[in-house]
Amino acid sequence: MNRVAKFRPTGFERKISQWVAGWDRIGSQIQFHVKTLTSIREVFLYYRVELIRLVAQMSMGVGALAMIGGTVAVIAILTLSTGALIAAQGFSQLGQIGVEALTGFASAYFNVRILAPLTAEFALAATIGAGATAQLGAMRINEEIDALEVIGVRAIAYLASARVLAGLVVVVPFYCVAVVMTFFAARFGTTVVYGQSSGVYDHYFHTFLSRTDLIWSFAQVSIASVVIMVIHTYYGFTASGGPAGVGEAVGRATRASVLAAVLVTVAITLAVYGQSGNFHLAG
Amino acid sequence: MRDVVVVGKPMRALGGFFAMALDTLVQTFRSPFAWREFLVQAWFVARVSLVPTLVLSIPFTVLAVFMFNILLTELGAADFSGTGAALSAVLQIGPVVTVLVVAGAGATAMCADLGARTIREELDALRVMGIDPIQALVVPRVLAATLVAFLLSPLVVLVGLAGGFVFSVYFQHVTPGAFVAGLTLITGLADVVVCLVKATLFGLTAGLIACYMGISVGGGPAGVGNAVNETVVFSFLALFVINTVVTAVGFRVTL
Repeated sequence: MNRVAKFRPTGFERKISQWVAGWDRIGSQIQFHVKTLTSIREVFLYYRVELIRLVAQMSMGVGALAMIGGTVAVIAILTLSTGALIAAQGFSQLGQIGVEALTGFASAYFNVRILAPLTAEFALAATIGAGATAQLGAMRINEEIDALEVIGVRAIAYLASARVLAGLVVVVPFYCVAVVMTFFAARFGTTVVYGQSSGVYDHYFHTFLSRTDLIWSFAQVSIASVVIMVIHTYYGFTASGGPAGVGEAVGRATRASVLAAVLVTVAITLAVYGQSGNFHLAG
Repeated sequence: MRDVVVVGKPMRALGGFFAMALDTLVQTFRSPFAWREFLVQAWFVARVSLVPTLVLSIPFTVLAVFMFNILLTELGAADFSGTGAALSAVLQIGPVVTVLVVAGAGATAMCADLGARTIREELDALRVMGIDPIQALVVPRVLAATLVAFLLSPLVVLVGLAGGFVFSVYFQHVTPGAFVAGLTLITGLADVVVCLVKATLFGLTAGLIACYMGISVGGGPAGVGNAVNETVVFSFLALFVINTVVTAVGFRVTL
């Protein structure tokens, strides 16, 4: 070990410099996010083909993901299981107070407002989000991003903004799949597995299914998808430290984007439903 | 022929996963147990997961409590707000949030670490030296993820309930006494046990998936990134499916 004796900061100085570095990182992260969002215009102008390629790639996924049916299959399985959860927990719990007839209502109410959006957001973060971080991180480690910049490609627009935009394009069909799957699984679980008559289920389901809520949940997921993609592209773009660094960046990005998605969902929910709740039991 | 390859590859991966899980089970009870690695990994997973789980559990519970309260206020039963909070926090939010973070933060880092070692051929070097990588690396990691998930979930439930309490009492004007009295109305010991069982199973699954993905990496830095990505996807998939199954079984057993 041929290490030159370096200036050793004391504990206090190290704390200060860590603190400063933390603020520094927040600043550069926000700068990157703003740059990503403002560069979306350039994607439309210069990189339309790349955008279409990314949309195609995101809907199928890469590697082993494509083999199990791609992103659509992952979202479908996740939301199927949350829908089944409504049946399992809703039917049993409502049955405790003798109103298991209201399981259809639970499906229309909790699925649309919380479960479907959150599950779809987690699925997006895990599939196309983490996938974007892994791709961009590998490009960064192999110095491909530097090469792009050298040959005059706007790297942020070409790589980050295009992915954010592609995420926004694919999220609407994905969320349609998610909603249909939760509704189907809840109905199937309640009527076929637990044996409730489908007429009872459908009656309460259709009575309490609010179209406005459904549209708001689409807005929720769309906004969350932009936040998720922006975070994931940032972590991929700034990955460092070899192969393990790429993996760690994926982990950190997933943690950050899941947290951000939940916070976005809470904020929008509180803003939309507010104190009034936009809910009327009496119709 | 091509179809056989397309179907065969995921099947082989699935088989490999179960083979590794079986190896891990066998090696767990064979001495020497890698205590040092186990403690280091447990501390690592706890360190990266503690703050995010606690931060995540508050908005989650607030969301659930808020939705329940809208409903309960409409029925004129806002005093039962605590019941809804306890129900959602103990049965779903506690285990699910724990594992979202243990899978998202701990398991991904494990997979990245093991993956980087695999492509640097360190695992082969271990095998050459007569050390079983499953025993030396995988067993402590899987057990660490399991233990931390088990220990974190009650903490998440408590923090979530505290968050729900503050939100209900100070923002939605529920009587504090009624909130606390309602907590144990439906949710009892059996539900807490189901919660702990769920969290433990989740931690075990996430650890196993991360380690399998890590030791079966191929294809350089991009391969590690993809493996971590697949870890996230497969552990989320496994968790949601396990959650539904355990919830349904739990109701059969406890009711």
